[in-house]
Amino acid sequence: MKGTIINIQHYAVQDGPGIRTLVFFKGCPLKCAWCCNPESQSPGSQLRYISYRCKQCMECVSACTNSGVSSEEGHMSHSFELCNECNSKICIDKCNYDAVALTGKDISSEELLASIAADISFYRNSGGGVTFSGGEPFAQHEFLVEMLQKCKALDIHTAIETCGWASEKALRKAIPYTDLFLFDLKIADPDLHLEFTRKPVGPILANLELLSSEKADIIIRFPVIAGITDSTKNLEGIAAIMYSNNLKQINLMPFHSLGTDKYEEHGMKYTLDQIKEFDPGQITAIRDFFLKQDFICEIS
Amino acid sequence: MDEQTACFTGREIHSAPALSRTSFLKIRYLDSPLMVDTEYIRHLTDSHKQTDGLEVQLRRATDHAYALAHMTPVIHNGDLIAGNKTRFIRGAIPYVNYAASPFLKEMRKEEQDAQSKHSEQGMGGGIGKTISEAEQNGLRLISGKFLISKDDYEGFKDVCGYWEDKCFMEQGDRLWKNHFGKADFIVNGWEIGLYTAPHEPCPEGRLILDYETALEKGYEQIIRETEDKINAFIPENMNGASSLFFWKAAVIVLKGASGFTSNYAAEAEKLAGKENDPARKAELEQMAETCRQVPLKPPRNFREAIQAFWFTYLLGHIEGSHLGFSPGRLDMLLWPYFNHDPDITVEKAIPLFEELFVKMTQIEYIASLSWQGLGHGNLYQNLILGGVDEKGEPVNNPVSMAILQAQINMQMTQPTLSVWWDEKLDPEFLMKAAECVKTGVGYPAFFNQATYVAHELETSGLPVEIIRKHSAIGGCTEPTLQGMSHGIVQAGFINHGKLIDLVLNEGLDPLTGIRMFEAGNPQTFEEVRSYYLKMMRETVRNWQQYWNYVMIAHRNTVPLIFCSVFVKDCLGGGKGMDDGGAALNQSVTTLSSGMVNVANSLAVIKKMCFDDNVCTLDELFHAVSQNWKGYESLRKKALNVPHWGNDYDFADDMFLGLFDEYCTWVKGQNNYLGLPYDPSMLAISTPVPFGKVCNAFPDGRLKGEPLADGVSSPFPGSDICGPTAVIRSSSKIDHRKIRGGLLNLKFHPSALKGENGSKNLLALIKTYFEKPGFHVQFNVVDSRMLKDAQLNPQNYRDLVVRVAGFSAYWVEMSKALQDQVIERTEHSL
Repeated sequence: MKGTIINIQHYAVQDGPGIRTLVFFKGCPLKCAWCCNPESQSPGSQLRYISYRCKQCMECVSACTNSGVSSEEGHMSHSFELCNECNSKICIDKCNYDAVALTGKDISSEELLASIAADISFYRNSGGGVTFSGGEPFAQHEFLVEMLQKCKALDIHTAIETCGWASEKALRKAIPYTDLFLFDLKIADPDLHLEFTRKPVGPILANLELLSSEKADIIIRFPVIAGITDSTKNLEGIAAIMYSNNLKQINLMPFHSLGTDKYEEHGMKYTLDQIKEFDPGQITAIRDFFLKQDFICEIS
Repeated sequence: MDEQTACFTGREIHSAPALSRTSFLKIRYLDSPLMVDTEYIRHLTDSHKQTDGLEVQLRRATDHAYALAHMTPVIHNGDLIAGNKTRFIRGAIPYVNYAASPFLKEMRKEEQDAQSKHSEQGMGGGIGKTISEAEQNGLRLISGKFLISKDDYEGFKDVCGYWEDKCFMEQGDRLWKNHFGKADFIVNGWEIGLYTAPHEPCPEGRLILDYETALEKGYEQIIRETEDKINAFIPENMNGASSLFFWKAAVIVLKGASGFTSNYAAEAEKLAGKENDPARKAELEQMAETCRQVPLKPPRNFREAIQAFWFTYLLGHIEGSHLGFSPGRLDMLLWPYFNHDPDITVEKAIPLFEELFVKMTQIEYIASLSWQGLGHGNLYQNLILGGVDEKGEPVNNPVSMAILQAQINMQMTQPTLSVWWDEKLDPEFLMKAAECVKTGVGYPAFFNQATYVAHELETSGLPVEIIRKHSAIGGCTEPTLQGMSHGIVQAGFINHGKLIDLVLNEGLDPLTGIRMFEAGNPQTFEEVRSYYLKMMRETVRNWQQYWNYVMIAHRNTVPLIFCSVFVKDCLGGGKGMDDGGAALNQSVTTLSSGMVNVANSLAVIKKMCFDDNVCTLDELFHAVSQNWKGYESLRKKALNVPHWGNDYDFADDMFLGLFDEYCTWVKGQNNYLGLPYDPSMLAISTPVPFGKVCNAFPDGRLKGEPLADGVSSPFPGSDICGPTAVIRSSSKIDHRKIRGGLLNLKFHPSALKGENGSKNLLALIKTYFEKPGFHVQFNVVDSRMLKDAQLNPQNYRDLVVRVAGFSAYWVEMSKALQDQVIERTEHSL
């Protein structure tokens, strides 16, 4: 089977124990306002234009048969919708400076497994393994389950980083082959969750309950977004969910703005004006909140 | 981290010297200019004028002993350890007995050698201070970064003039230039940058003395034993006569050395007599007492053991023009003294090591501009911790921990720390080593002891117990047997990159027009490869044979006597190292760098011109000759062919094939001691000057860009599959075949954060060494911080980064080398 991924990252050390290989799946049902991997939202491959690499050589303009790209006062202007539908994408071939690229590629489960398995001795020595991330891995659940099975057959530790949006059937298929779920919890309040992620929180909480009842190993990941997720009310709501599901550990993911360039590069709009990054003191205060309630809490 | 505010991630581990005294020593070092001290060489010259007619070993010993006994003992404020190489804080001895011509040429405003125009030195830090002080105080600036007083300079000119026709380099030149049939090839090779500049100004090093015997016996006992040999000696053949001279020379030099250390005892006593501060007075009295005991008699406690080590180390350092003269396994050496000293603790030992490391860093070397540039002022003093002993038991002990903590605190560029990795080492020790890596200083480097033991078992045939106990690193990344190997005295480096230029241009250097080979235009991939191999072989062979001529002159002008006394079993066999007296004489290497670019270029040629038919060989060669100008799309395709370091067999096999050819060929020529040359590859700063003299390559590299560094480090930016793929590629090399090896990895600090980050780093090392790899070292730094340091050097006076087999002060590095370190692929999350 084939899946669509953005990237394979070796020596990843922040997404599960030990030295890991991180596979970014493409496609995510949620559209979180603060998303720092916007290129992972859409399921298909997308054109990316990295302006600082562009030398204005015009090779792409002359090659394009689709009127997808034009030159405007010293920079290239792309009609991204047109480009993403274009089958030839000849501009990528023509660019000599890697300023135009494709985000997302199809990969067979065999090829992906070979890349993961190449680091098996690193996993063994560090207690590491593979983490399927994204995007949302369950958005390609058949491919995901096949990968999980193949990895477990090689005795590789498996983790899934999920937003929790999955069908019960898919989730149940994945559980036996998954050693660790890194489960995102963002906003406890249903209305706010819908507003900021475009999906209701209910099905996500049901899935969390299912995982918990199946005794899956779960670490909650909580994105700390100023003015959105950091209210006392939300922290209490998250803690309550954890308590009711008998969960032990929550890791904080402080917002960073490293992903903002990627919006523009993919012709996407960043809807939030300006989120401020936290200073370490504020993050520590949030960690203390969870520690006080006897949760294990680490800052990523 | 608070550095977050400056838009980059700071280093995780910060520390400070243990005492205000050691803080003072470090700051004094950082604030001191670089000085040349002509005292030693003037005394040596005075003696040499009187010793004409003596047998060469006796003459060398007599001159050196005279100079040692007449050097001014200088004890600086705050010092507890006695003994300095020069009278200055940062001082260098100009060894004009080795090579006078670089200095004379500078005085005459002539070019020193073909490479000097391509070499660069940094201009910041202490070097910047030197230059400004020269301008202000009417001192003279020599060799680009050293100060010399006007009076010293006049005397120095005379000394240089005296040695012009007598020095090692001149004697060697007369030999090989007149007798070696390929002399023109060597000269032309320098001209086009195929070889590093003549190595005679600083040929020695990669040497570790037998400090164990020096401490256990003390000089007095060694003198007595040697005199007994002399008294019992009856000549029966000419070799025997040579032994007599060697033993007599040994006694002379040890007595000179005793004079040197006794002068320190007297000086400490004198200063104590004048000292008003009772605390300092007591320190000086203790120093005098210590210097009366060691190194003449065995140390009675840990502090005396450190002083005894330092004296012997220093005396060995003074004798020769060394690069890579190393302390070796100091934790193993000092452990018995630590263990039996009821008054010493790790806390008390740390500041002693802090001071020792300042003293090591204070030693500077002055040589030709080319070699100063290649070494970047670094003396490659390698201190290796851990590993296993003769029985295979781990060596790490509290002294190992104290040494690591001292360098975590001080972050001096010397000594560069290394760890002999072994499965059995204590995890606490390894975590401490990882902590030191995370300061960002780039050490310790990790070496796989088992790999070297396997190499030496095959090379030397010595028992495994001996090899285990003595294995150490001499210099940047060259393993050797401490206290029993002939110092690795090699000719310098071969530039594999230049061979690409020559293959592409029918044997003609495209940048100078100099013809090196008569070769045709290759038509097939096999021809390209075989032309390269043919040229590589001739380049290697000529270099080895040239150097064998040079080393005849070494034996006849500057044989090492003091150092030989402390190399097994020179005294027992009655033969100095120059006569093959060391237990291991196959330590002499042939060095090269840049092979990764050859492998990448071959991969591109095969794939684009023959497998995929993207272009013809002529088209590719033409594009390269134009520095890819107008051929950007072809260059992109070349860059997209998998390069070395991504675990693609296609490119990796190219490298492995060349590596095997090189190793086999190198061993085909005997060294000057009658044993096969040992293959080695490493880098020091060669990728920068070697790259400067090279045209563009088929692998997409542009004209003048640095070559790939190290042995198996990928070309910057070409490793796109992460650090584990680099390691998988590198581990395909059979590292047992070579003496040396070098893999650089650069990590963003966040990738190694916290205890888990350290554990993952150690797991990475373990995985590599199980394969088995040989060496890996790490720069842990945010490239954005380095860019900031380029813009604001005033904020980074003590920033230390890893370059090759050494670490250097950032501000004292050349811009080109700084750029190279920034360019290396940074592995982050």
